[in-house]
Amino acid sequence: MAGETAQAGAGIGLRQPHYAELFGAPPPLDFVEVHSENFFADGGAALAVLHQARALYPVSLHGVGLALGSAAGLDPWHLERLDRLVQRIEPLRVSDHSCFARAALRPGQPVVHANDLLPIAFTDAALAIMVANVTQVQERLRRPMLVENLSSYVSFADDSMSEPEYFAQLCRRSGCGMLLDVNNIMVNALNAGANDPLAACCAFVDALPLGIVGEIHLAGYLQADGIVIDDHGSRVRPDVWRVYEHALKRFGAVPTLVEWDTELPSFGVLLAEAEQASALMAKAVVA
Amino acid sequence: MNLSREAERQRLLLAALAGPVTAAAPGLSIRESQARAARGLEAYRANAEALAERALSAAFATVQAMVGEENFRHLACEFWRADPPLRGDVGECGDAFPVWLELHAAMARWPWLGDCARLDQALHHNERAADAVFDAASLALLESTDPARLALQLMPGTAVLRSRWPIATIHAAHRVDEAHSEAAFAQVRAALDAKRGEQVLVVRQGWRAVVCELGQAGADWAEQLLAGASLSAALERAGEGFDFAAWLGTAVREQWLKGVVELRD
Repeated sequence: MAGETAQAGAGIGLRQPHYAELFGAPPPLDFVEVHSENFFADGGAALAVLHQARALYPVSLHGVGLALGSAAGLDPWHLERLDRLVQRIEPLRVSDHSCFARAALRPGQPVVHANDLLPIAFTDAALAIMVANVTQVQERLRRPMLVENLSSYVSFADDSMSEPEYFAQLCRRSGCGMLLDVNNIMVNALNAGANDPLAACCAFVDALPLGIVGEIHLAGYLQADGIVIDDHGSRVRPDVWRVYEHALKRFGAVPTLVEWDTELPSFGVLLAEAEQASALMAKAVVA
Repeated sequence: MNLSREAERQRLLLAALAGPVTAAAPGLSIRESQARAARGLEAYRANAEALAERALSAAFATVQAMVGEENFRHLACEFWRADPPLRGDVGECGDAFPVWLELHAAMARWPWLGDCARLDQALHHNERAADAVFDAASLALLESTDPARLALQLMPGTAVLRSRWPIATIHAAHRVDEAHSEAAFAQVRAALDAKRGEQVLVVRQGWRAVVCELGQAGADWAEQLLAGASLSAALERAGEGFDFAAWLGTAVREQWLKGVVELRD
């Protein structure tokens, strides 16, 4: 399976405002995670920092641009850059999202890239596209990858399967693992107007097969005007921590990342969130 | 299984996000109510606009300083819609931005903006270029080999820009602290009044790309090197007034030079 749970621990995202503290007195972290595309350049300061981080910690490469669900297929340039980065960094894990971003705006026009995580339908056809694209990535990288569930702000009336069923089939047919974003499940449940969002999220977790989840993401969300946004700009919410505890009970300890991408907090606050995840993992292992 | 249906759904969703703010296209089969779907699509549009501004401001910092943050935000969003990215790496976006700015009617008052954007872009590319180490031993070739069979290689990302506008002076004025700002912009005004063009070399200093103003001979010389000309041809183009020894000393000290190589037949 993609992503071994034997080395389960907590990690944080590598962010520029925290570099001085991270490299000045490296805290005990199980891994750091970066957005792969930020290191696609041929050289430069960012890549040097990533190598510096790699000397201290295992690194998880988390992509936001493969657009794995795109019916237009993968961009060979993107895959080549990712492969080069994987060879340079030898990451602990490689992941991206269950989304699309590449399509032509009008028939016959060039394929553009939305640079966003756009939702796919949960249909047999969308699943077939995803399986083919994930297989292509894994063959190129010569390693299994993890695919993350999205927070999506629209969904489709003609879905023919549930999201957990979709992931179960995706993992079985492609050999990939799942990156379970607990916050995204909660955001979707809230936006869907679930009567009991916590119960809906726990049911989602319970519907996933054992053995497919290779990493968990935690983050904060924003309750905006009429919509909940997965903004990664605050502490993990109490309801998300509860779903996380439920997931740990079901899956055991799983490598867990605290994502915080906007309104970055002090390094201490971010570390405290990671420590809380570690403590819950330890509790789950003991139980 | 209908693969073409998914392809069409994705095209429709992307087009709905790129187009005017209207209700979702009917072929999308969105589950949510019309109002709810509109709110959801608006969230994606807001993401795209924030990303456009963030990506382009990272690459075109001087242009942003020149037009102001609010104007830049509008320009970035307009450009993003007019010329959507083809790659999933926002660091690669904006290649067409300088030309697009030059052709933008609202920017006609600042005809130097396009060249200032080109300079920003050259700096951005330089900072993403491959890292290289100076091959000091290769300098021995200068003593032993016919200059017609040698070429000097500059560090990856090095670029020469020529402009009929004072791009180096404008660039520098947007980087000085407030205490020196008035004097710096007085220099810009004077250079514009004098219709002074400038040519520059973009090189890396540490991890940062920097701008070095060049004379005519220096620009001719550097362009020849970047084009892969032989040392003798580059010297001939630079002319008799060009001080190769002084340039070489600076190039080694400032780490402009990657090394000296023998040309193959």
